[in-house]
Amino acid sequence: MSEPLLAARGVSVRFGGLVAVDGVDLDVRAGELVGIIGPNGAGKTTFFHTLSGVLAPTAGRVLVGGDDLTGKPPHAYAAHGVARTFQTPRVFKEMPAIDNVRFGLEFAGRTRQHAHDAFDEAETILEFLGLADVAAVPAGGLTPSRQRLLEIGMALGARPRVLLLDEVAAGLTHAEVDASAQLIRRVRDELGLAVVWIEHAVRVLMNYVERVAVLHQGRKIADGDPRAVAKDPAVVEAYLGEEGEPERRAA
Amino acid sequence: MNSRHALLALLAGGLALAALPWLLSDFLLALALSCVMYAGLAVSWSMFCGPTNYLSLATAAFFGLGTYVTAWGAGALPYGLSVLAGGLVAAGFAALIGAAVLHLRGAYFAVITFGMGELVRHGITYYEKAFEGTVGRIIAEAPESTTVYWMVLLVSMGAVAAAVLVRDHRLGLALRGIGSDEERAQTLGVNARRSKIAAFALSAFFAGALGAAMAVRWTYIDPLTVFNPFIGFQTVLIAMVGGAQTILGPIASAVVFGLLTEFLRLQFPYLFLVILGFLLILLVLYLPGGIASLFERWRWRRGNV
Amino acid sequence: MSLWFELIASGLITGGIYAVVAIGLNLQYGLMRILNISHGEFLMLGAYLTWLAHTVLQVNPLAFLPVVALVMFVAGVLVYRLCFYRIVSTAPAVEVIEARSLLVGFGLLYLVQNLAYLAWGADLRGYSFLVETLEIGGARFNLNRVVVFGFAMAASLALLAVLRFTLIGKAVRAMMQSPTGAQLVGIDTKVLHPVVFGAGLALAGVAGALLSTVFEISPAMGEPYTVTALIVIVLGGLGSALGSLLGGFLLGLVETFGMHFTSPSLKMVLSYGVLIAVLLARPKGLFTR
Repeated sequence: MSEPLLAARGVSVRFGGLVAVDGVDLDVRAGELVGIIGPNGAGKTTFFHTLSGVLAPTAGRVLVGGDDLTGKPPHAYAAHGVARTFQTPRVFKEMPAIDNVRFGLEFAGRTRQHAHDAFDEAETILEFLGLADVAAVPAGGLTPSRQRLLEIGMALGARPRVLLLDEVAAGLTHAEVDASAQLIRRVRDELGLAVVWIEHAVRVLMNYVERVAVLHQGRKIADGDPRAVAKDPAVVEAYLGEEGEPERRAA
Repeated sequence: MNSRHALLALLAGGLALAALPWLLSDFLLALALSCVMYAGLAVSWSMFCGPTNYLSLATAAFFGLGTYVTAWGAGALPYGLSVLAGGLVAAGFAALIGAAVLHLRGAYFAVITFGMGELVRHGITYYEKAFEGTVGRIIAEAPESTTVYWMVLLVSMGAVAAAVLVRDHRLGLALRGIGSDEERAQTLGVNARRSKIAAFALSAFFAGALGAAMAVRWTYIDPLTVFNPFIGFQTVLIAMVGGAQTILGPIASAVVFGLLTEFLRLQFPYLFLVILGFLLILLVLYLPGGIASLFERWRWRRGNV
Repeated sequence: MSLWFELIASGLITGGIYAVVAIGLNLQYGLMRILNISHGEFLMLGAYLTWLAHTVLQVNPLAFLPVVALVMFVAGVLVYRLCFYRIVSTAPAVEVIEARSLLVGFGLLYLVQNLAYLAWGADLRGYSFLVETLEIGGARFNLNRVVVFGFAMAASLALLAVLRFTLIGKAVRAMMQSPTGAQLVGIDTKVLHPVVFGAGLALAGVAGALLSTVFEISPAMGEPYTVTALIVIVLGGLGSALGSLLGGFLLGLVETFGMHFTSPSLKMVLSYGVLIAVLLARPKGLFTR
């Protein structure tokens, strides 16, 4: 088996007395599409912050491409090819959409090449996302769902090896969710990226990923094939504690 | 307008301004000098503070450090070299304090940069009194006033050229990203700390060099004169009234302020400042984008006809 | 022993005034993100009002304090409505409010200070009031300084009590924590903002009135107090009234002791040194958790 591109080793985050993430291990290889699910407050986003350097773990290590980046600033993660989106889109509001995409190309992605050189142009990325018509519009003026897409474009601009997606589907219609998921798979297939995708709406994720990890109260309680995970008693238990079986949620 | 056009326009403008000493009386040349100096200060301030939305009140500190480099080196260093050294000392100081305080934002940053300036001023006052036994210094050999004008013009043009280059290159993009959402910029690969320190030091270089160049205009230098917070406030005002996101805005506003200041201040010192204060409030309330937003509005209207 | 007592007392007296000036500025900043750089000019106006009342109408400066407070409160409401309301209600982001209100503050500073120069000239003015000395525990003080301290403390503590125990005070503290939270509770910022701004200027005016009983006054007297107040609120934490009170005392003590043991010319170096040291070690202020 190939070397993991992204590896979390016993990652923990404590805020004062509260343990948000508790000794989580996760390996992601190139070309893998991994989903992370979990009830509210399971520590998904906090875990993502540690994977992108936004937050340093209080214990454990994060390795990207074999290099230990624990405690390094976010730009070091970006330089190693980790790109992410945020739960609430964080675009550069005053800049035209195309400059938002160009931003990553100029910084994090400067020294790398995409598997497809078509993705080396900000214009192509916008076109791929169906945002070509708003290239010159300041990003703050786009609808929230288009800002979400643009964020994926910003991450792609960084010529990533690892793509971290935080709740892409939130606030989108079924058709839009479907389109986004197709798009994410296409990106993964064409560029051979490792993709980690957090989603609160479980059903959406289960349909599109080949592997899913479940976080509950900061701990990883399951990791594997979506169908097997959905039947895992610990997982069912965790979700019953909240609102019911994973498959029935968001249905 | 891309960098090359802007730099060519700058060169043409600079050459035209360089001819002023042959055309103007001494009084008018002094006026031009004041406008050029404030343009240089305001442009260098906007270079960092415009895109990043930081509010630095350290300009007076950089300027004052520059003048003291000239004063300390008087007799030992040739004029041109003191100007360069003044800029470098200010840039070094900026890099040092920048490394310590650039993680602070908003009012904190404004207060601490102001405090740093005052600290340097009082520190120098104390040093001079305790170790040199003097309050101020006399600069005996000053270059011709036309030489001073050319030097200040040269430094100010350097500031504008640097601002154009920063704006059109990666550093400018990084600074705009930092101003918009610093953490987001970092996750896209911007080394925010390094970019901010570099831009802050670059902007300080020009303020320090201008201070060093202007030092010889005063024959007598003491900390209270050259670290005058008014210089810093005035710079911030000019830049923000002109529109700190642009380069032409601060230049235009420096000319307006320079002329107003020199004409009115001597004759009606108090009334002038009352009017200045009143105008400032009106401008901020009713033209918050600065003078530059007037041009934009006008261009927008023409484009839509 | 009596030297220490004298230094401590004198530091607390200075600090008490700093606290009154700083608390007003801090409330305005904490609630509205208005950093009013012309705060000291309103202190100066309070001083001149009191001086005029005392020299022209022979009014006792202490009896005149409520009038100063009221006049400055009304002035504050007007200034807020005319200058800052538009900024707070139209600015797209907090940073923009800070930048624009700072600029307007500069405008007010020029305007008010130079109007004072036009009206009263640059000469130092003063009057003597309660100059007899008072002996406490072997240390001697001018009575007026002790009275100033007493009133400064009373004003600060009254304000802290208002913040802690009254409905409007609780609202102000809630808003400083979270603007949206307070809106849910149904607090009308249209009333609260001008009232708090006015209260800030009233405190500045009272501080000026008190200072006029001890020191000579001039149109430029306010500026150093603004700067000191900025240092104090950063020391105590932006938005924390109690922090400002403690920060004021701390700075007063540091200045008094520092000047006594080093040199009076180092006063500002000391205060800025403390400021920078604190900011580097505890960027959120000394007294915040």
